[in-house]
Amino acid sequence: MQGTSRRHFVRVASGATAGMATWLALGKAPALAQKRELTFLSWNHFVPASDDELRRQAEAFGKQAGVTVRVDTIAHLQLPSKRAAEAQAQSGHDMILTGGADPFLFEKQHAEVGDLIDELGKKFGGWYPFAREGSHTASGWKAVPWFWVSFPATYNMTHFRQAGLEPPKTWDELLRHGKILKKQGNPVGIAISHCADANSTFWSVLWCYGGKVLEADGRTVAIKSDQTERVIEWYKELYRDAMEPEVLSWDDASNNRCILAGKCSWIHNPISPYAAALAKSMPIADEINHHSSPAGPAGTHSAPPINGIGIWKFSKHVPLAKDFIRFLFQKENYDAWIAASNAFNHPPLKHLADHPIWAKNPKLAMLPKEAEYAHERGWPAKPNAAVQLVQVNYVLPDMVAKAVNGMPTKRAMDWGQEQVRLAVQGKLKEAGA
Amino acid sequence: MAVSQRALEATGLPRLGRLARVREWWEQEHVFGYSLIVPALALLVGLVAYPFGMAIYFSLSDYWVGSPGEFVGLQNFRDIVGNEMFQQTVYNSFVFSIIAVVFKTVLGVWLAMLLFRDFRFKRLIRGAVLLPWVIPTALSVLAWGWMFDSLYSVVNWTAIHLGLINPPGPNWLGMTSYAMTAVIAVNVWRGLPFFAIIVLAGLVSIPREYYEAAEVDGAGSWGRFRNVTLPLLKPVLAVVILFSTIFTFSDFNIVQVLTRGGPVNTTHLFATLAYQIGLTGGNLGQGAAVSLFLFPMLAAIVFIQLRYIRRE
Repeated sequence: MQGTSRRHFVRVASGATAGMATWLALGKAPALAQKRELTFLSWNHFVPASDDELRRQAEAFGKQAGVTVRVDTIAHLQLPSKRAAEAQAQSGHDMILTGGADPFLFEKQHAEVGDLIDELGKKFGGWYPFAREGSHTASGWKAVPWFWVSFPATYNMTHFRQAGLEPPKTWDELLRHGKILKKQGNPVGIAISHCADANSTFWSVLWCYGGKVLEADGRTVAIKSDQTERVIEWYKELYRDAMEPEVLSWDDASNNRCILAGKCSWIHNPISPYAAALAKSMPIADEINHHSSPAGPAGTHSAPPINGIGIWKFSKHVPLAKDFIRFLFQKENYDAWIAASNAFNHPPLKHLADHPIWAKNPKLAMLPKEAEYAHERGWPAKPNAAVQLVQVNYVLPDMVAKAVNGMPTKRAMDWGQEQVRLAVQGKLKEAGA
Repeated sequence: MAVSQRALEATGLPRLGRLARVREWWEQEHVFGYSLIVPALALLVGLVAYPFGMAIYFSLSDYWVGSPGEFVGLQNFRDIVGNEMFQQTVYNSFVFSIIAVVFKTVLGVWLAMLLFRDFRFKRLIRGAVLLPWVIPTALSVLAWGWMFDSLYSVVNWTAIHLGLINPPGPNWLGMTSYAMTAVIAVNVWRGLPFFAIIVLAGLVSIPREYYEAAEVDGAGSWGRFRNVTLPLLKPVLAVVILFSTIFTFSDFNIVQVLTRGGPVNTTHLFATLAYQIGLTGGNLGQGAAVSLFLFPMLAAIVFIQLRYIRRE
């Protein structure tokens, strides 16, 4: 019989296993598959055309530099675990999208990019203040701020006109307007739940009333204050008289739906509802407009999401990665990328913010100015590990949720204070200071 | 054809080369046998033992993502036990698991009895019942998310139109008890087929003669269920409940997609809290400690139930 004998099978199988084992042990592909390759891990952009343009530029850079550039994109919620895995394995991509506390959490893992920061800053009229707050650690610049996402007020002009109201300039005014608008059937929509928007808005309101979570040293808990008490009281009144209980269950898309459904009169959010309404030719696009994030007794402050590019220290192509970032920041490339993103990507460099895309649409014209009063979460502290925990544990919206559900303001604040204390108590990165 | 070394020696021919000797060593039963087990052992060590060991190591260190930590003993455990958020999570996990498993058991047995009957399209319907179990949880839970949506809830819409509740209806994912009800309902919906199908297999294996004998003795349908079906199903039920308890305690997807632990951490389970603290928050040490809390509890449940099954 001409079948495979046991002996033959064992011989072939052990040969194949040994071959695979050698390949795995050497940690690289067989010679024929090798080619110099630069890799970048980013998220799936909310405007997919932005990623298409990024890939086009990556290919152009690859041709120019004689390498292959691979841009991998994954869902933004998967990015933290992927980042942790790459740091742990000390292998993966050469560059990775950063946000929030990443440059601080991965301070020892990221390459220093100060030279690039200086060069780009000189070329484009300087970086906005938040760039330094979010990427400059005790051991230097650990990410190149790449873009930020404006977080203005989005409102329904028809609802405001019906109520005879002008868009609010301050949070107090929003509260007064909101009471009237709710009676009209058009409540305000600010999430008080486990979602990113709930965090973003709370930071803005807290700063505008002069409050803070941590002192500038990054370890002294400062949330228990008269200012925070005022903020919680403001939220309680807003919740009771200007919003509906739905805000306690919201995710990041709920406020978009609320304004697009013609129900909500005012939300605090990136410009995505307007962009979606335009893209789908929804009639409500004509009724939607934006205005600057409101002010408070301590001025105007906002907490837009800010993203950067970090280069892993373990990368074998650090200089090449810097060249690639330099290439992305060439004016014609950056401009094309803003246009592809439909004005969603805002530059962290002053002269790049002159792009005509914002000025030509009066509904977007005020957006680039928001950069001047934008801060990283945690400000006046750096966005260190404790700030990260406060963020991901939704301590701030939960403190408010407890209060609006009936817990006395002072007790809710005590709870928040305790949670922040617990977040600080763990090992803090030296850079947190 | 190869000839073995011993056969060669017996004929007095010259000894074979090194390769043949290696081959002979390899073919001895204790060598060959063990080498067949090696792949399975490597998988177990690599995918179960190693991660478990790493989790224990992380939980005893102040390990943060991106920076190796030092040994801190039981500090992480002390920290989380003292944290109100964790205490809430322990409470949630028990409420969630106990209620969900009870519902799944009762409804699962009931559904299995229904499916056991003869009716038209039996096979088709038995297959369809498995759907919730087959569809990827992340996808089906997104659909549930829509059903519980604050603005477009089809649950509320239906109930309002049937005159069962007053508009606007409950804020499903925003109020503590409703949110817990919602995640339990989705868990029961998803876990029910697993129960029903395995119990159904148990039912099929019960000999008809017992029922006939019970009928002769004058047992009604409840009597037959209580005195024939239930005792004979016990071993199967014990195993399903054991598995289901483990799956339910360690559930992640449903809560992560529906509520992310909200409102105010009242639906957080061990897995979602561990993910939040360890991976998104970067505090791997504490995250590992949270998830390890699951281990002694599950171990105790497994121990008790396995002992019970063996005694049966």
